[in-house]
Amino acid sequence: MAAAEAAGLIAVGAGLAVGLTGLGAGIAEGNVGAAAVGAITEDASLFGKAMIFMVLPETIVIFGLVISILAIFVM
Amino acid sequence: MFKRSVRKGNYAYTVTRVKAKKSHLLKEDDYDKMIQMSVPEISRYISESGYQKEMADLAGRFEGLELVEHATYQNMANVFKSILGASQGELAIMVAAYLEKWDIWNLKVIIRGKSYGLDAAGIKEDLVPAGKVDEEALDKLISLDSVDDVLNEYSKIGKVKFPAEVLSEYKETGNHGVIEDFLDKYHYQRLLDSISPYTQPTKIFLNYIRKDIDVVNLRTIMKLKSEGITGEQVMKYFIPGGMQIDSKFAQVLANADTVQAATGDMSRLELYDEYIKPVLDSDTYNNRAVIAAIKKYQEDQAKKMAHMYPLSVLPVVDFMIHKETEVRNIRIVARGVDGGLSRETIKGLLVI
Repeated sequence: MAAAEAAGLIAVGAGLAVGLTGLGAGIAEGNVGAAAVGAITEDASLFGKAMIFMVLPETIVIFGLVISILAIFVM
Repeated sequence: MFKRSVRKGNYAYTVTRVKAKKSHLLKEDDYDKMIQMSVPEISRYISESGYQKEMADLAGRFEGLELVEHATYQNMANVFKSILGASQGELAIMVAAYLEKWDIWNLKVIIRGKSYGLDAAGIKEDLVPAGKVDEEALDKLISLDSVDDVLNEYSKIGKVKFPAEVLSEYKETGNHGVIEDFLDKYHYQRLLDSISPYTQPTKIFLNYIRKDIDVVNLRTIMKLKSEGITGEQVMKYFIPGGMQIDSKFAQVLANADTVQAATGDMSRLELYDEYIKPVLDSDTYNNRAVIAAIKKYQEDQAKKMAHMYPLSVLPVVDFMIHKETEVRNIRIVARGVDGGLSRETIKGLLVI
């Protein structure tokens, strides 16, 4: 019973790690994306740089994903 | 949450766009080069610096100095319209209120044109459609027969209510100056009302506008004083809402007998020590130098606020101020070169 409870809590923790980081990345990307589109509208040559900045907030989700994988498979 | 973010304004998008536009503005080096050119060379130079479309569009109708003047105003109108189109929510409200001064400029041009019997094409040449009122609505205003019709129509388009006493004074005297004075006051009032001072950036913007009102009032007082007009006559043009110059202080300045006496009274102002005093102490003191110093203060205030809050209305307003300054500078250089002014004199007139 205790083991089942622990497994359940780990699953909730893993879900929270991915979900909350996803939300954070979404908020960050909202602003970065809007700024990137603004920059590209003025100067199309900035597309490459804008793309890199767009991708940066997604690393937050990767951190969350790593934590959740660690939680489920290692703990 | 989404509703709230739309109401708040799309700062990231609009600010990035204006920052990109700002990086293309002319620098001091550009003005140094332009001062040494002839008017056609200046035309070519600005064509390569972002004014290409407007220069090409208007090249068939104008040439020389006229082409530079019209193309720069048209470019400014296009740039401001693109900013207004890009912004949303409270940002759009503030930008529109700030740009309303161009609607009022256009209305003044139309009223003057109608009063002096100019034809539609003549009036249209001097319009700067940089505000909320689009070209179609402006064309409609121009096509109307009398100033009364124009005012009626504008009160619907611009949602302005002209007070009965202003209209009756205009009808009695036929002097459209009363309407123009009302519009100036009305614009600042509406602008102040559009800014809700609940966040730090909007508070700074509000203070900037209030300082701007002070500058406008100071300039008016100085100009009228240099023409020997004092007292109540000056107070007629006073715009309320300023930060340091309230109606009482304005009265003191207005009642001063001479320009020198008025500048002495200004020692209470924030800008006195740094801007006005050096001009008063220098050998080259004249009224124009004081007005230029006041203008410099206004520019420095704008510069100060530009980098405070990156995601706010401040960088947007800062860009609009810089764009207006650039257009004014180009016109000063072109007119100065055309009029044969010395390079030093032209440089002295520029705000960089």
